[in-house]
Amino acid sequence: MKAQKAAPWLLLTPFLAFFTLAFLLPILYAVWQSFTRVRLSGLFGEDGATTSFAGFDNYAKALGNPEFTASIGRVLLFGAVQVPLMIALATVLALLLESASAKWPRFFRAAYFMPYGVPGVIATILWSFLYVPGLSPFLDLAESLGITVDVLGPSTVLWSIANIVTWTYTGYNTLIIVAQLKAIPGDLYEAARVDGAGPWQIARSIQLPLIRPALMLTVVFSIIGTLQIFAEPKILREVSPAINNDYTPNLAAYNSAFNYNEYNVAAAQAVLIALAAFVLSYAFLYLSNRKAGRR
Amino acid sequence: MSAKDRAGARAADPRQRRANAGSTILVTGILVVVSVYFLVPAYWIVVAATKTTEDLFTTNGFWFAPTTHLTENVTRVLTYDDGIFLRWFANSVLYAGIGGLVATLFAAAGGYALAKYAFRGREAVYGLVLGGVLVPATATALPLFLLFSELGLTNSYWSVLIPSVVSPFGLFLCRIYAAATVPDTVIEAARIDGAGEMRIFATLGLRAMVPAMVTVFLFQLVGIWNNYFLPLIMLADPDLYPLTLGLNNWYAQVERLPEFYELTTGGVLVSTVPLVAAMFVLQRFWRGGFTEGAVKE
Amino acid sequence: MARLSRRNLLRAGVGAGAVAALAGCGTGARPAGQPPLIPRAGPGETVHLTYWSWLKDLQRVCDVWNAAHPRVQVEAVWSQPGNDGGYQSMFSALAAGGGPDIAQIEMRQIPAFMLVNGLVDLSRYGFDRHADKYDPTLVSQVGFNGGVYGAPQDSGPCAFFHRSDLLDEIGAEPPGTWQEWTDLSAEYRAADRYLECFYVSDTSLFAAIAAQAGAAWFQIDGDRWAVDLTDDATMMVAEHFDRAIERDLVETSLGMFSPGWFAAAADGRIGAITCASWADALIQGTGGTEGLWRVAPMPTWSGTGYGSTQLGGSTAAVLANSAHPQEALDFSVWMTTDPAGIDAMIEHSGIGWTPAPDHIGTRRRQASEFFGGQRYNEEVFVPASRRQNPDWIWSPVVQQVFDNLADNFRRRLTGEITLMEACARTERDTVRMLRDKGLSARSL
Repeated sequence: MKAQKAAPWLLLTPFLAFFTLAFLLPILYAVWQSFTRVRLSGLFGEDGATTSFAGFDNYAKALGNPEFTASIGRVLLFGAVQVPLMIALATVLALLLESASAKWPRFFRAAYFMPYGVPGVIATILWSFLYVPGLSPFLDLAESLGITVDVLGPSTVLWSIANIVTWTYTGYNTLIIVAQLKAIPGDLYEAARVDGAGPWQIARSIQLPLIRPALMLTVVFSIIGTLQIFAEPKILREVSPAINNDYTPNLAAYNSAFNYNEYNVAAAQAVLIALAAFVLSYAFLYLSNRKAGRR
Repeated sequence: MSAKDRAGARAADPRQRRANAGSTILVTGILVVVSVYFLVPAYWIVVAATKTTEDLFTTNGFWFAPTTHLTENVTRVLTYDDGIFLRWFANSVLYAGIGGLVATLFAAAGGYALAKYAFRGREAVYGLVLGGVLVPATATALPLFLLFSELGLTNSYWSVLIPSVVSPFGLFLCRIYAAATVPDTVIEAARIDGAGEMRIFATLGLRAMVPAMVTVFLFQLVGIWNNYFLPLIMLADPDLYPLTLGLNNWYAQVERLPEFYELTTGGVLVSTVPLVAAMFVLQRFWRGGFTEGAVKE
Repeated sequence: MARLSRRNLLRAGVGAGAVAALAGCGTGARPAGQPPLIPRAGPGETVHLTYWSWLKDLQRVCDVWNAAHPRVQVEAVWSQPGNDGGYQSMFSALAAGGGPDIAQIEMRQIPAFMLVNGLVDLSRYGFDRHADKYDPTLVSQVGFNGGVYGAPQDSGPCAFFHRSDLLDEIGAEPPGTWQEWTDLSAEYRAADRYLECFYVSDTSLFAAIAAQAGAAWFQIDGDRWAVDLTDDATMMVAEHFDRAIERDLVETSLGMFSPGWFAAAADGRIGAITCASWADALIQGTGGTEGLWRVAPMPTWSGTGYGSTQLGGSTAAVLANSAHPQEALDFSVWMTTDPAGIDAMIEHSGIGWTPAPDHIGTRRRQASEFFGGQRYNEEVFVPASRRQNPDWIWSPVVQQVFDNLADNFRRRLTGEITLMEACARTERDTVRMLRDKGLSARSL
């Protein structure tokens, strides 16, 4: 009995030890840092530095910076448009792949999934070549048709980033949904057919409700992913003057920490990002659970 | 409902692969169009990697230049700066391989413990870990850097490996999977036979959890392989870079040194080929844990 | 001076365990004072130095030194360019108590590194003995509080690079003044080209042109920073470009030397760039334009300001954790002032303008084929390097100021504010940035 009491903790110890080191301590540390301020004296801090309690000053500074608040608005807009679009596309593709009318479904599945193996950094470098006038065959083609498009301008570059994210993750989400579709028992289809349901009805009243858990998982992951957008704008900066240093919250936090050496403000920004991810994910789960009622 | 609709219903039944020609052409046509979107950038990079910087800017991007420089470009990628690219590749393999493996073992042990033992604090631990799933990794990376710099761990293999061996999502998956697939009666029987708890886990538990572990491993492997933020923050020495960071280092040079276009396009091609090939092969393993695990809850 | 401020601060936080510290929310202080001098290594000892830099093939320069100095061996480590990750690596290495002995740091970043106590005061190791080998305006940009915090490595006197074929097409001459520049820009627009770009995302060129007009954005007033982005000179420059943007005389959607810029320069949609001497190597990457480019002196502000200005420019700085600052200084001085070092830097790494007025580099005395046989270095850049604003210095928040100004300039493109208003906003924000760090600052 004693062994049985100790066993779970023994099994959990390695995970919890590293979880503490890599998650809990940093979060606590960030919270602490975010309530601290460092003040230097002299022209360059050569007369010493003092650390003191700052209250909510760092949060006020973070939220008082219009570029940071704009970046939050930007990712929310991005999330509100790109996440539903991508999930809808993934769902449609999954339903098509699983329909009897699809030829070579394994090939297509693999083709759609392929970009997931391309790291975001590399996908962005690749797409950036396709966004630059003079390099991109797409823009050249448009130019020869008399259309001048600037996909790197202030009003368009956000959607160029959305395109990279969609390209990378749609196939991955499709795969999750396909897996769930495959788990639907065959007799359900049989029953539906006996009732005379058409393909639309089957999709609407059997497939969609039953893949809800998979959809929720993909939506939550996409929300978290959206808040983390970093590599794409950081790399596209090389080709787009419209992207500033605070383009996304994450980029802003990185910038505060490593370009401006403002670790305390960066900590406040990191805490705010984590809070936002938490609140949004929970809100989504809560709302969709309430809507579905108790099942 | 007409007879025609009934026929349509039958056609849509995924269990009976029968379909009329019209809908096959339509559906497959859509799938083909969509696959162009996913495959064209890949095609472009293959074409671009065969070109010199000058050709890159002056010839049609969808077709090859009159002279092909693929071998020169790839050779330059592999030999530039004493073969630093191969070193980056090896580093990526190291980070993703070891990180993925250890993370899977830790998650399996933890998930099994949470699923198969009733103990005080179980729900508290589970809640904490679930919270960990929802915290963006990049939000912890910044304070992690500050913490590691105090411990003298930054700019080392450890600084990337240590955070990589923790997968809250993996533990979450393993718990659900273990609860569903490892029967309590079998564990009880093993106990009666006198087997120790660790042995039961190592023999019965791990074996039953293999499909979930494969999923967790792949998930973590790709996550680490694709990671950019953590190594960017932690590593200063190019010898420790993974591919993502190294290639971006090259890309950052093109502005001042245009010859880096060739290195970057070549490097992008060489670095994506193995992973893309792996994705084609691995995608069928990807579902295991998801179908029986997470999404079944 | 206590070493490694940030480390000490961190220690206050983590030393006793982050959780315990959380409860305490302790306050800490870093004392002031100088670290002890580190003597030269003993005669039997071989010193190994590392040098982080984003210069290409710098190891080959180091090899020249290594061959002649077997007991001080320098290894070059190729880093990312400063703001693309290079500085971040240096800051993070410093915070972790390590880092290279020598690092390439742009002049404008020197104060930011001083703020984290990251640099060795070279005057304590005898830099002053070598000071007269350097261009005095450069030395004044690395000297603060009576110390010297980096050996100037290269600089960037500015000139007007232009496609002579496009100029000939309309029978025009390079503009002597900014007024003529405006007129010429209008002529280019009539031919559906732009003469130049205005770079909203990189405001360093704007700052350089303001410096040319006589501005001094950052000034030291006792132990206080004085900030002035609204003086007559800056306002004149801002108004000049406000009007140019208003009349659509400048292209605003391209980054300096971005892929899109090269494409536009190659097919003649852009005809010129006012930029630093080091731009010559970049311009040579413009496909299919060999022999077409020329270099002329930068346009001037009629009756006021200076003949040229400075853009970019780096130092070889010795970082605070170096175990051999004396040897690091010896190497840095050799590399930046010895003809062998300078020639190797030009040959292998393509550095900017040399900081030693006595030797502009053997190769730079020759005519350039790409620039149509022009000897532009002696013809244009030697005089430009002598016609600089001596009062310009940098502050510890330069990168933040540039980014802030860029954010405000972007608002010019959406029509929200003018460049003049943008400068006024950034002046206010700059004072706040300095005060946020606890430094005292005021507006001028």
